Amino acid sequence: MGHTDPAAQAVAESDETVHHRIGQLTRTLHNALRELGYDRELMDARDHLPDARDRLAYIARVTGEAAEKVLNAVDRARSVQQELTEQAGELRQRWQAVAAFAAGGKACTPAGKQLIDETCDFFAGVGGQTDRTNVILTDIMLAQDFHDLTGQVIRRVVALAQLLEEQLLKLLIETTPPTQRPRVESKQLEGPVVSQAVRDDIVADQQGVDDLLASLGF
Amino acid sequence: MSADTRFLIVDDFSTMRRILRNLLKEIGFGNAEEAEDGAVALSMLKAGKFDFVVSDINMPNMNGFELLKIVRADEALKSIPFLMVTAEAKKDDIVQAAQGGASGYIVKPFTKATLEEKVQKILTKQN
Repeated sequence: MGHTDPAAQAVAESDETVHHRIGQLTRTLHNALRELGYDRELMDARDHLPDARDRLAYIARVTGEAAEKVLNAVDRARSVQQELTEQAGELRQRWQAVAAFAAGGKACTPAGKQLIDETCDFFAGVGGQTDRTNVILTDIMLAQDFHDLTGQVIRRVVALAQLLEEQLLKLLIETTPPTQRPRVESKQLEGPVVSQAVRDDIVADQQGVDDLLASLGF
Repeated sequence: MSADTRFLIVDDFSTMRRILRNLLKEIGFGNAEEAEDGAVALSMLKAGKFDFVVSDINMPNMNGFELLKIVRADEALKSIPFLMVTAEAKKDDIVQAAQGGASGYIVKPFTKATLEEKVQKILTKQN
């Protein structure tokens, strides 16, 4: 027998005692859960998690399809706007020629001249109107970024549900609570901000990004 | 750099790739291709001649940070402008991107004006 460090031995004994106590607590907890019928509830909770994941996946898929439909519609609307702009431009030129002819002679009544002028004005204004419509279409298109933002959140919740399911399964199979709680790793990417709570480790908007980078000399 | 500037858009969400492609077209850059993650983007970058990368961060297979690191370490690719467009709003991520050599950082949701400003600023600085 070699010489044993008394301090190390004391620590080992202390660890053993702690492990023993944890084991006893675990057994007590398990028995209590079973006696109270909570093991069944845990089983039910675990069984429902895959369903919850499927529902979230369904939401992600349907919202994605909805966003694609909107983007397709925006593309079609842009095409229509483009045609409208081009046709209005061509007609405007032709009506301007008619207006010039009408202004130089007596072939047209005052009411006719007025109609020609108003028609020219109308075609002149179409370009501005289609431009404004295109700005609105851009806003509609940009609003579809919700699919990316909510999709990332859903992905994280699905991963969390998976983790919970695994942990619950361990709890049920091993009759002990999981030795480690699921924890969010510090290096995990944070994603979109879903909570309005004030946090100082994230930026609130693009200005926050620019300010932070400027403060670092970038 | 001109309207012929060839962009590579890297994002795992097809909706966002499409939005970015359309926005780039609206601000005068109609030459763009898409990749769904960093790994695909890297093979495209090595195979083709791209002038500008617009990349998300959080993606499967290879994320934006990993792609940036490889691009900056590659002799043939290291000078390519690399704009991060991401939902990651953590200060640590923004600093990591800047220190890793990102040319700019846009946080989602963003506007057309923000994208145009950052792209033009990067192109101006490069010329």
